[in-house]
Amino acid sequence: MPDKTINYEELRPGYKFPPATYELSASFVSTYLRAVDSAGVGFVPPLAITACAIAAMTKSVPLPPGTIAIHASQDLEFFKAVPVGATIDCRIGVAQKIERGKMSMLILELEVFDKDKVKVQSGRATVALPA
Amino acid sequence: MLREIQQGKALGPVVKHITQEKIDLYAEASGDFNPIHVDEAFAANTPLGGTIAHGMLSLAYVSEMMTSAFGQSWLSGGKLRAKFKASARPGDTLTVNGKVDCIEQKDDVSYANCTFECRNQKEETIITGEAIAEFSSGRK
Repeated sequence: MPDKTINYEELRPGYKFPPATYELSASFVSTYLRAVDSAGVGFVPPLAITACAIAAMTKSVPLPPGTIAIHASQDLEFFKAVPVGATIDCRIGVAQKIERGKMSMLILELEVFDKDKVKVQSGRATVALPA
Repeated sequence: MLREIQQGKALGPVVKHITQEKIDLYAEASGDFNPIHVDEAFAANTPLGGTIAHGMLSLAYVSEMMTSAFGQSWLSGGKLRAKFKASARPGDTLTVNGKVDCIEQKDDVSYANCTFECRNQKEETIITGEAIAEFSSGRK
């Protein structure tokens, strides 16, 4: 897990969040599947992997109390099915930060690799936050 | 499953009921405990007027629809672009529908270009987007 937290103001294009490693345990997958009300297909649902990657960011950047962050858009590409029990390495960086009046649009790029360093997923998230 | 994929094919529907319990479980799984999702007293005093589901929770239903249609091809070659238009709330029933708009072929691989939409019980759009799934056409 990330051992460093930063302030939202420090986030600038090019910033890389500390890499985070997760074990996609049967327990984690079970909790995720109950949350999304799905039976699953024998592999880790790809959006469960995305959730881990996003968690790496949210745990690094605690928002001020009362802050509402809006997930505006999400692009994803899946390269490889991931078995339950696998370990993944999540990397997120800031691609753009756009100030629009009282709001900021933070565009984040994410990449997820398996233990053999094979890319299993990449994507781009746009999050709106108070400036 | 994949043999039936053709232009114009309808995908879904996937119908899910949103509850606070599921939102809390999603927070536990994802580690996203933002109070707008899990603190009903806090959320009631915001402009949103109550808790909302994580956007990625609702998007999971889109991925479920694509997995049902394309199987493992979706897990190892799928692409999606989604825009979150509105928030889903506890008590909402979400319905995801999609359609194969066209199929492109390159070498021995077919690509299904799809559009999807997630709406609540009031017919309000929660998510819209596009998805591409690759699958073998079986042509040699």
